[in-house]
Amino acid sequence: MTPSVGIIANPASGKDIRRLVAHGSVFDNKEKVNIIRRVLRALDAFGIPHVLAMPDVFGLVLRALEDAQVNLNVDFVDISLTNTGEDSTQAARRMVENGVSCIVTIGGDGTNRVVAKASRDVPLVPISTGTNNVFPSMVEGTLAGLAAAAVALDVNQVRERAVHRARKLVIAREGKPIDLALVDVVVYDERFVASRAIWDVEKMRTLVLVAPHVGTIGASAIAAYLPEMLTAQGHGAWLDLGPDGRRVLVPVGPGLIAPVSIRSLRWLEVGEGGRVLGAPCVLALDGERENPVYPGQDVIIYLSEEGPYVVDIQNAVRTAIEAGFFVI
Amino acid sequence: MSLSQETLLSLYETMVKIRTFEERVAEIYYEGKTPVFDIAAGPVPGEMHLYSGQEAVAAGVCAHLRPDDPVTSTHRPHGHLIAKGVDLKAMMAEIFGKDTGLCHGKGGHMHLFDPTLHFGCGGIVGGGIPHAVGAALAIKKRGEDRVAVSFFGDGAANIGAFHESLNLAAVWKLPVVFVVEDNLYAISVPKSASTAVRSNAERGAAYDMPAVQVDGQDVLAVYEAAKEAIERARKGGGPSLIEAVCYRFRGHFEGDPELYLPKGIKEQWKQRDPITILGNQLKAQGWFSDEQAQAIQDKMTALVAEAEAFARQSPYPAPEDALKHVFVNV
Repeated sequence: MTPSVGIIANPASGKDIRRLVAHGSVFDNKEKVNIIRRVLRALDAFGIPHVLAMPDVFGLVLRALEDAQVNLNVDFVDISLTNTGEDSTQAARRMVENGVSCIVTIGGDGTNRVVAKASRDVPLVPISTGTNNVFPSMVEGTLAGLAAAAVALDVNQVRERAVHRARKLVIAREGKPIDLALVDVVVYDERFVASRAIWDVEKMRTLVLVAPHVGTIGASAIAAYLPEMLTAQGHGAWLDLGPDGRRVLVPVGPGLIAPVSIRSLRWLEVGEGGRVLGAPCVLALDGERENPVYPGQDVIIYLSEEGPYVVDIQNAVRTAIEAGFFVI
Repeated sequence: MSLSQETLLSLYETMVKIRTFEERVAEIYYEGKTPVFDIAAGPVPGEMHLYSGQEAVAAGVCAHLRPDDPVTSTHRPHGHLIAKGVDLKAMMAEIFGKDTGLCHGKGGHMHLFDPTLHFGCGGIVGGGIPHAVGAALAIKKRGEDRVAVSFFGDGAANIGAFHESLNLAAVWKLPVVFVVEDNLYAISVPKSASTAVRSNAERGAAYDMPAVQVDGQDVLAVYEAAKEAIERARKGGGPSLIEAVCYRFRGHFEGDPELYLPKGIKEQWKQRDPITILGNQLKAQGWFSDEQAQAIQDKMTALVAEAEAFARQSPYPAPEDALKHVFVNV
């Protein structure tokens, strides 16, 4: 089977209301085109013959191909565009069906979340261009392309050595899983999805985290900067927020450092979670409002180890170096 | 700020008012113009550009505006003016060219001016954008907390005046919000054929102002973004840009055969009717019933009918008054 790599670039990331209510980076599409071009050139240089890409109304991959001067073939998955996150999920589904070795994603937490819904055991190479980039890496495009090439060619057993399975949070309603999150779920005191982003800490009632780690910004920061988090690596967390609790001052958004009061905190092992209280409310998944919860609905959130497979880009490149992949 | 039942119902009413007005004007427009389309014939001669489908943008933005916040608009102005609170009778009379109209019948559908609402519009593409900046300059010089808003389309965003306006508004840190109604087509030209960047939200960076893109069919998304932008300007935070991606359910103009549209796309667009979307959101919260929806529709149908009757019964301006209200008397 000829090695094939998928590319899903989200044209919408980096343009939402967090440019107004916080100091979100402006990640213009020209920069995304640049990144895609660098990925294509890296794949091409190491002999990957085929790329399967998600089409989008902005033509990011098409524009990247102009002036890319690559020999590889780029095909586009045949999906009808809705211009929502559903496009990325559909694209990932098609790429998995078509046997891609890995999927390079270009976007933020939100992009990776919707791709993870369908990526199954195809690993992701996540390049960050979103607002809160906890899940994907701030990695240069060429390097990500090299890692993807190494994975596609399974150099030096890189698929065992540099790919790990991430955890996720599962949202289940009346016992049925309806959605997932890769970083966090916030139970937000609002009824509507509206502009999706969340930025008012006063409205955050509960915070559930996959794996808080040092250096995150966003809602995860509410737990990630507690001293006990340093020894609790590898656990999820469930926090109830509200007045008269333990106060922290943390970066809840880009340039947005706010005081937050934590009433309770418990660690989560895989399989553990809790019930959503306080309906009507809305669940924000990885920083974006997504699921309204109505009174009377039974909604639970729990930690699962069946998240997407992710390429550790640095490790993948190191593994390839070890095998002399770059010595010609 | 929670999105309350009161707010949502108010937004719903505004959108239904706009839709009802536009759909009735469409029917009136074709009176006398058949069987052969004669643009000069009938009670409403001239061109007609209707706002059906884009109601969420006008409603979501204008909900945050006071009567004395200036607004400039375009050849497709009815939605903005209705959302700003215009008297439907005076507006309808102006569309009919009657003396009781906003401009004594001398402006017509594309030249609606209401000084009590600080509203102006015109058919020159991008023409209103510098005016909003000028209004904002006056506001700042007077030390007031009013905000100017300019509505324009994806085509106007390529006009020189757009670029000059954003630049100067940023340099002078003026209280103005630029709202790009991106309905994907500038008359018949698709945005991909006219615009070098993929989103006009990216142009904010070129002029050092925050810019966001919102789903223009979801009035709550527009409402939230507009709230932040307008409050920021009111507090002296300067200009910003909102790009609302929306859909025009009718042609660019009435009579437009729309041969440039891909087959089936209109049907797809109509799946995202902003009034239906908000209605469903209200119902899901238990804040709304079909009876209430019908009551609102009936109320707006009656209001529009009253405006139409007023317009039809009103006199035309007298020929000897042709030069009145056209020039300033010095």
